[in-house]
Amino acid sequence: MGAEPTVQELRNLVAEFEPGRGHLLPALHRVQETYGYISREAIEVVAGQLDTTPALVYGCVTFYADFRTHRPPQTEIAWCSGPACRLAGGERIREALEHTLELPLGGHSEDDRYGLHLGQCVGTCHESPQVWVNGEVRGRLTAADAIRLAREVKAAE
Amino acid sequence: MNARLQSIIDDARKAWTAERAGGRAKITVTLDTSSIARGAEQTIAAIKEVAAKKSLDIDIGITGSWGLCWAEPTLTVRTAAGTRTVLYANVTADRVEELLEKTVVEGGDLPSLAVGVVEGNATAAIPLLSEHPFMQGQVRRLMANLGTTDPENIDHYLAHGGYEGLGRAFEMGAEAIVKEVLDSGLGGRAGGGFPAGRKWDFLRTATAEPRYLVCNADEGDPGAWVNRVLMEGDPQLIVEGMLIAALAANARWGYIYLRYEYPLAVRRMQLAVDQARQKGLLGENILGTGKDFDLIVFKGAGAYVCGEETGLINSIDGYRGMPRIKPPFPAQAGLWNKPTNVNNVESYANAPLIMRQGSAWWSSVSDAKEKGTKMFTFSGAVKQACCVELPFGPKVRDVLMQYAGGPASDRPMKGFQPGGPLSGVVSADRLDLTLTLDPYRELGLFLGGGGIVFFDESACTVDLCRYFLSFAEDESCGRCTTCRGGTQRAVEVLRRIQSGGGHDGDFERLEGLVRWLVYSNCFHGQFAMTTVKTALKQFRSEWIEHIEEKRCRARVCPGLVAYQVRAQGDPKLAEAKEICPTGAIIEANGKYEIEDAPCIRCGACREVAPSAIELRDLVMAPVAAR
Repeated sequence: MGAEPTVQELRNLVAEFEPGRGHLLPALHRVQETYGYISREAIEVVAGQLDTTPALVYGCVTFYADFRTHRPPQTEIAWCSGPACRLAGGERIREALEHTLELPLGGHSEDDRYGLHLGQCVGTCHESPQVWVNGEVRGRLTAADAIRLAREVKAAE
Repeated sequence: MNARLQSIIDDARKAWTAERAGGRAKITVTLDTSSIARGAEQTIAAIKEVAAKKSLDIDIGITGSWGLCWAEPTLTVRTAAGTRTVLYANVTADRVEELLEKTVVEGGDLPSLAVGVVEGNATAAIPLLSEHPFMQGQVRRLMANLGTTDPENIDHYLAHGGYEGLGRAFEMGAEAIVKEVLDSGLGGRAGGGFPAGRKWDFLRTATAEPRYLVCNADEGDPGAWVNRVLMEGDPQLIVEGMLIAALAANARWGYIYLRYEYPLAVRRMQLAVDQARQKGLLGENILGTGKDFDLIVFKGAGAYVCGEETGLINSIDGYRGMPRIKPPFPAQAGLWNKPTNVNNVESYANAPLIMRQGSAWWSSVSDAKEKGTKMFTFSGAVKQACCVELPFGPKVRDVLMQYAGGPASDRPMKGFQPGGPLSGVVSADRLDLTLTLDPYRELGLFLGGGGIVFFDESACTVDLCRYFLSFAEDESCGRCTTCRGGTQRAVEVLRRIQSGGGHDGDFERLEGLVRWLVYSNCFHGQFAMTTVKTALKQFRSEWIEHIEEKRCRARVCPGLVAYQVRAQGDPKLAEAKEICPTGAIIEANGKYEIEDAPCIRCGACREVAPSAIELRDLVMAPVAAR
């Protein structure tokens, strides 16, 4: 994940994918895994490669929660929305995170230093309530822990 | 048995025997998403470090889950002689040195961390694992290799009966396979219970070509992780199962649609497919039989409704994952409008067992109408979040006490959710229901994919309904107004009730939505209101309290409760003021007060100053008559 890709780089990246063979999601995953997100240019390139319209590709990008149209923040707190976490106070943790970071779920700071993401349950419910910080589980949190974590993330350079 | 397959199996068995006879002790660590969350990678690093420091000549391996998710990291230690294997739990990195010292160096056990003896004799301190309460009553067939084999090594699978079922399937031919699977009584494992053999026969008798198989590994139900345990623990079982189904239905291609939230499962399934292909078990002219079949691991992108089979098909086809209008059914027109069969992970994974040991053996595990075993995960207000494999039939109360370790606290149980956000809720007075399909159907709900979530009196029924309806609203594909608008409306009404705005007609409003949403096109809309429907019936008095008395007995609903200072002068109050993220705690002349308007009910203040701050019912001031 680095500089903005050129159109040619994007074309090379998805050159192996073909129309009509179920390659849309794999192509979008490839773009996102390489650049961290799917830009407007990438949508056009993928549409061209798969012989479809940018509107259809954009429709898919926005339908699936995994695909991002904005570069990921440096530090991302993903809040687990699962039921075990909910029963253990997860909703209070969401409120605490949103108000401390001053972001809604799905939001990111203006300078992309940090963001808040809605995470789905993966069955590590023994750690509930939990969040992931850049993919790493922080479990058995209290709301106070979440506030301290969010303040730390916000203050870090 | 196909001669080439026999020789592949023989080679794998020889390699396994040679490895065991190597004269080195072996540590086998459970490495899956649950154990990684509890530090298994650090444990492995510590084992390597200690082994190097003490110059220990040991083998280190990885394996799948024992099901003891709450007690990860787990690992087994096998003695150098290969005669004794003991399972240990809670082996965090800081405990590795002591464990290796006691076991590998001194040749003994470490009873304080031991769960049970896997191979060898029990001691006064360590029982046989098979006699451990957690294993009693479990029949680990799908999970047989978990804890033993390396999920990233096909030879381990082949050395433990792997692909013997395929060998038999090749000899039987399509019709006989279908008959064997029909005789077994294997039903769909995502909750429907539709006979797998019949579905395979639909595909077998379809006329168009090519035919496709799809494995629905989009385990989207929050609180369910049975498919993850299987894919991370024994992915070859699914590859072999799909191969057998491909022979039965004469399919050419198979897709494993796997949710992106399971990156380790994606990696291991892909590895399993690659290794099977290298052995000639996938691809063209499989094992010289002339059969062509190949598998594609297809990564989802985060959409619950892709768990609906036609939504999933649209997603692979390259569209938004919006469920189609049936008919035509996938068996006639599925992927690229060609005949397609969609089954759940566990449904396919049972096929190798049925082929290997026969349908009579497979179905004789219990007297229940539902044949075979089922994997379940238990979570929520329990002591032990875990994964087990059981015959159908035990009572919910018994599995709660025996496997999940009972309620998490002294609070009474309030109920449970039998399988996913659309499955409804069951009150605790029905804990004697059995884990079979019918009793739930009779109550208007269903036993889903295996994720059972328990809740106790600290949970609010209205809040749970709002939670599950918000999920259904978020995940609605948007095609049907009934579902899109209906879930949205339900969330509005529930939010209003939660903030103290419940009024006359709310019961009728919600009951109306219950009636109307069943006219949605797909399962998602049809079952979105199940939680509300079942909760309105079983927890009526709690709804009346919310709507008429503006009271939440569990003190969860934000508009019906308030935090207040109970004990001025408590030294913790300054800390409480500091932690408040919205500045709702005001201090003047040493006296603290919580302002209600900015308070977001996160409860952090009470966590840091539990004896100074309390949560009380927010009594609504009566509205003065004009």
